[in-house]
Amino acid sequence: MSDDTLSDYLKARGISRRGFLKFCAATASMLALPPAAGSAIAAALASARRPSVIWLSFQECTGCTEAITRSHSPSLESLIFDAISLDYHHTLQAASGDAAEASRHQAMEQNRGNYLVVVDGSIPVKDGGVYSTIAGRTNLDILKETAAGAAAIISVGTCAAFGGLPEAQPNPTGAVPVSAIIKDKPIINVPGCPPIPVVMTGVLAHYLTFGSVPELDSLNRPRAFYGDYIHDRCYRRPYYDQGKFARSFDDEGARSGWCLYELGCRGPTTRSVCATTKWNQGTSFPIQSGHGCIGCTEPRFWDTGAFYKAISAPIGPVGTAAAVGLAAGAAVGAGMALRNRAAKKRAKEGHRTITTDDLEK
Amino acid sequence: MNRLDSIPVNAVPHGAVKHADGNARAILQQIAQMLETLLTTGETGSIDLHALPLSPADRTFLSESLGTGEVQAEVEALGKSRAVETGISGVWWIVHHNADGDVIGEFVEVAFCPEILLTPVEDVRDGLDALRARLFVAGRNLAGHGEDHE
Repeated sequence: MSDDTLSDYLKARGISRRGFLKFCAATASMLALPPAAGSAIAAALASARRPSVIWLSFQECTGCTEAITRSHSPSLESLIFDAISLDYHHTLQAASGDAAEASRHQAMEQNRGNYLVVVDGSIPVKDGGVYSTIAGRTNLDILKETAAGAAAIISVGTCAAFGGLPEAQPNPTGAVPVSAIIKDKPIINVPGCPPIPVVMTGVLAHYLTFGSVPELDSLNRPRAFYGDYIHDRCYRRPYYDQGKFARSFDDEGARSGWCLYELGCRGPTTRSVCATTKWNQGTSFPIQSGHGCIGCTEPRFWDTGAFYKAISAPIGPVGTAAAVGLAAGAAVGAGMALRNRAAKKRAKEGHRTITTDDLEK
Repeated sequence: MNRLDSIPVNAVPHGAVKHADGNARAILQQIAQMLETLLTTGETGSIDLHALPLSPADRTFLSESLGTGEVQAEVEALGKSRAVETGISGVWWIVHHNADGDVIGEFVEVAFCPEILLTPVEDVRDGLDALRARLFVAGRNLAGHGEDHE
């Protein structure tokens, strides 16, 4: 942990207090906090020490690092990324060989119990973990050693969070996510292939500000960024509701910007802020660029069926059936549960099961 | 960004929502409440416009309902920020841009003066120190100048 505070650091870089305040207001907005939290963030960040961060890259493609370092400066992402003391990142650091490993050990010793570990990439465990090694040691070994003294672990990207591509069938290396190995530390999953840079830094900003892990969902993803389905925030949603669908990538519907559901869009089953935060400084996101969502923030997205086949969906309107029951005043307690069960059963019957034949189409 | 802008987009928007669906009206109600609070307790308020689903029609309705007032201020800090007082005094429309000109935050602030325009106390302290240092240097230079003539 560096001795100077974040505000000292920003000041040394010529960032004014107004700039800082504005940055904090935008951060609060990004974290879905009320606007008043901007001032609280400013106060907390101003006195926060720059935390030591050890970044471990395992079985991955470096896309996550590419994403986070390719932001135009000075952006929120670069500010936060610069504001941490990144003590080890084998792709970015100048040191190599023994010197690099020595710097990791030094950061661990000096900040024991307080440093953050960022992991991108899954960890192969088959055959003793021999399929991915750094400095002659397995990823499994390095992760266990580094995690022991960490305050928290941030699993960046779908590989670290859920196993990702390396874990896809037939998973030749026995790849597993961080959470399968480390059980005694708080783990924040920030999935995406890659995650949106500002989502990665937003999690860091939250940790810096409040010194705690943000509110997480059942898959340990921060609710601020993975609370809503892309479908529910999609600007093409009105077309879905009107039943206007593109049926091929060059038909009238596609040209008119209609819903891509029938072309396999995973928006209805994928939680991410792609539709609102967007990519490349808010330029666009896959659906806006004319391609359906592939569901990259969800576990096992590679193995959940062909990307261009419509996802199976209930034919009967589940929500409506339940709502009608409620309106009739008959659906309280057990009655409601019964109706929901009936709706669920209908929905289940309405599902189209995907077979291996479908995958090959 | 210029190159991205130059790529033609041929999609024709069909059936886009044309009417304000009510969010704009709800925001106006909230603003009215905030103004009342400002008058009675002096407490300021802020609404994050990015956190709310607003159709283009909603936006137009909101900005037309508020109108434009007398004050327009620009702050240059990590990119431009604009604070415009709307036609309803005490209601400010704040837009933050980053250095690339992209919008990174948009707020409606209810205050006598928006926070981004107020000088932070620490800056006043730093300013006083800087002025004293300049006075000291100026004084020393003057004294030095005097010695040359002696």
